[in-house]
Amino acid sequence: MLAQLTSGERQLSIVVLILMAMVGLAMAAAGRGDPIGVHGFIVVVASVAMIFVMLSGLYAPEPSAERLDHYYDDPSKVGVILTMIWAMVGMFFGVWVASLLAWPDLTFDAAWASFGRLRPVHTSGVIFGFGGNALIATSFHVLQRTSRARLPDQFSPWFVLLGYNLFCVLAATGYFMGVTQSKEYAEPEWYADIWLVIVWVVYFAIYIRTLARRKEPHIYVANWYYMAFILVVAILHIVNNLAVPVSFGHAKSYSAFSGVQDAMTQWWYGHNAVAFFLTSGFLGMMYYYLPKRAGRPIYSYRLSIISFWGITFMYMWAGSHHLHYTALPEWVQTLGMTFSLVLLVPSWASAGNALATLNGAWHKVRDDATLRFMMAAAVFYGLTTFEGSFMAIRPVNALSHYTDWTVGHVHAGALGWVALITFGSIYCLVPALWKRERMYSAKLIEVHFWLAISGTVIYVFAMWNSGILQGLMWRTYNENGTLTYSFIESMVAMHPYYIARAFGGLLFLLGAITGSYNILMTIRGHSQAALQPSDDAPQRNLAPVAQPAE
Amino acid sequence: MPEFHRKIERSAIGFVLAIVVVASIGGFVEIAPLFTIDDTVENAPDMRVYTPLEQAGRDIYMREGCYACHSQMIRTLRDEVERYGPYSLAVESKYDHPMLWGSKRTGPDLARIGGKYSDAWQVAHLINPRAVVPESIMPKFGWLRDNPLRIDDLGEHLTALRDVGVPYTDDMIANATQDALGQTAPDGDFAAGVTKRYGEATQVRAFDGNPATVTEMDALVAYLQILGHLTGAAQAGVAVQPEAAQ
Amino acid sequence: MSWEHETVVAFSKSWGLFYLIAMAVGVLVYTFWPSNKKRFERAKDSILDGDDKPWK
Ligand code: HEC
Repeated sequence: MLAQLTSGERQLSIVVLILMAMVGLAMAAAGRGDPIGVHGFIVVVASVAMIFVMLSGLYAPEPSAERLDHYYDDPSKVGVILTMIWAMVGMFFGVWVASLLAWPDLTFDAAWASFGRLRPVHTSGVIFGFGGNALIATSFHVLQRTSRARLPDQFSPWFVLLGYNLFCVLAATGYFMGVTQSKEYAEPEWYADIWLVIVWVVYFAIYIRTLARRKEPHIYVANWYYMAFILVVAILHIVNNLAVPVSFGHAKSYSAFSGVQDAMTQWWYGHNAVAFFLTSGFLGMMYYYLPKRAGRPIYSYRLSIISFWGITFMYMWAGSHHLHYTALPEWVQTLGMTFSLVLLVPSWASAGNALATLNGAWHKVRDDATLRFMMAAAVFYGLTTFEGSFMAIRPVNALSHYTDWTVGHVHAGALGWVALITFGSIYCLVPALWKRERMYSAKLIEVHFWLAISGTVIYVFAMWNSGILQGLMWRTYNENGTLTYSFIESMVAMHPYYIARAFGGLLFLLGAITGSYNILMTIRGHSQAALQPSDDAPQRNLAPVAQPAE
Repeated sequence: MPEFHRKIERSAIGFVLAIVVVASIGGFVEIAPLFTIDDTVENAPDMRVYTPLEQAGRDIYMREGCYACHSQMIRTLRDEVERYGPYSLAVESKYDHPMLWGSKRTGPDLARIGGKYSDAWQVAHLINPRAVVPESIMPKFGWLRDNPLRIDDLGEHLTALRDVGVPYTDDMIANATQDALGQTAPDGDFAAGVTKRYGEATQVRAFDGNPATVTEMDALVAYLQILGHLTGAAQAGVAVQPEAAQ
Repeated sequence: MSWEHETVVAFSKSWGLFYLIAMAVGVLVYTFWPSNKKRFERAKDSILDGDDKPWK
């Protein structure tokens, strides 16, 4: 893979890596006796290891200019592999923490292995590790195809992909050591946050530079969603993580905001992380891979544009529905609730658009588990957004908030929507990237599909039951006008559901492992003959277009 | 209009700006007013800042992820007020950087846990919750009692907090380490300084039962015991009545 | 910061609403502008061709 880099890019990589190693060294020196020192050490080791890799290929011959006739897919390939690794890691920790709620002593008697430290490893592992890598890998692929232009260079995509994974590693290892800002879904500390900003700026630059060189006059709508994901996540990340570190030798920092302002900022972030990380980016995936796999154009392109602006605009207002009946001013709560309800319109427009695209291709959905993954994802997307709007209604929220219902809702979205659309897209992507005719085993995709669906359904039903039961027990009064149940009674009542939930999660994890095996075998070529080189792809059958300006 | 949009789209930069503008206004409209709220929200003149020991305990609370299972926000609902105490006021988390309102009650709300149990109960419960509450699914935190608390850098912590707006005085910052020692050793030399700087009502005791060393357990229990008592504003009765939970 | 809380809230509420409507109208006009139809039709078909090479 190094052979594709020009010698200038190889030198640049080494310079960047040396800089990183120096920063790592400074962190290690300043942070002796503090977790930031350990992180400095990790940065040094990672950078030096990469320097050796680069040195090994430093004097390889220049890549031929012929490479420019192809898209640059190596980063996407590595990205797909990292996606699956993080999926297994993140979901393993998910099953573990779920089991801890059923059997609290199912862990080592050590600080790193306690629930509070493992939980963010799970959440960050699946959201950022699995979801983030999937977004990066697919976005590079989609961006090039829809722009008909190769990525601008061979260095920056690697910087983004590997730099992002360094961020994920710092995050996860930090949690084990107790490094956390305690901000939900933004736990990593200040130095990891700064690093992510750098990575993100380069990511954004790749996007803009490729789009500027595009040969299609119009930017395909999938890219709009990816762009919104990149841009808005940057804004959210920077604002939410504003903080003052205790010193350069401390991992610890204190948030710039406090109390109500912090609550609103955190949920503005938290809710929009759902919107722009877990929805917008994955809708980008859906708008490309679903029509592609179905072999049919998206049902209504206009509808996709309207829902794009609707989602981009309205999500930003909805965050305060996480704070109903709290010390947040009531008008902000009402505003959040109203927008959450209106949000259902663009959300269902997207889900409906996806399903309408499949209308007339149901036989394909029946026979092709890959397409079925995407169809199920669209269905779950529709269900989850409906549920979300419902839960944003104040009186409903009075019952659901603080309970497992919220957890169930999140997983209907995370498992049912995010993970299913990702697996579907990856099953499309892998044969395309490695030039295989199809995946190693269609049967294993089928197995994965049913494991994933049954896991999700068991999980979500368990949490609906426990959440609603919990909410009701907390507010039940007896005839004397006093509360009927103690907290402990409500906790004990959760036990069977927590077991069911752990089981559902286990099925989902097994599915991810099955998928990883299938992908591995496909990559290793244990399948039918390799495809013809893409040069022989059929001629475009489109009417000629007005010559693009650039 | 279409020409305009075509231009925007052609130079992807314009498109980028459109997304940024469209997306940021919502947040701005919702959040900006909250930063001017200080003058209208309840006022609590008796509100005090956390002592260095309590703040260190708060940091441990975050480090161990207690916030993942416990909320610190009693909503304005009848059942919550009856179960946990007067509902939470905005002013009570004024010095909380960041806030720890939480989003999930796997365990009970802790906004008013201070004083509900003895120190000994808290210590025993944290070491092994099932020794105290047999059905409990809360994790064990035994190492907190064995880990000495790092106190040499508490002044730096308070300085950083002052930078983000908590009114720590120079005196408090200079004596942060001593005050942590003092708050856990009522008979020691430094105890008087703590009450001088943080008020007579400040709890000064060997929270983990051992005055000889300052442990992480000391800090965490000191924090738990002050929760809900930094100000009396909520208990003093407030104008708004909680909404019925129907 | 001499802004009164009430002023800011009032501004947020009124302009927020105005902005919402203006934005919705803008998007609808763009989407349904007749001359845009062709580009949209092209865009939705263009991802389906089998071409897998950058254009020169
Ligand atoms: C896995 C979730 C979980 C985590 C993490 C957790 N707790 Fe708990 N906690 C519970 C549950 C469940 C209960 C109720 C049963 C009991 O009293 O043990 C509880 C009860 C409590 C109580 C008693 C509350 C009352 O009103 O009776 C306190 C105090 C407490 N926890 C403090 C903490 C602290 C401090 C931490 C972090 C060091 C922590 N908890 C972490 C689940 C958790």
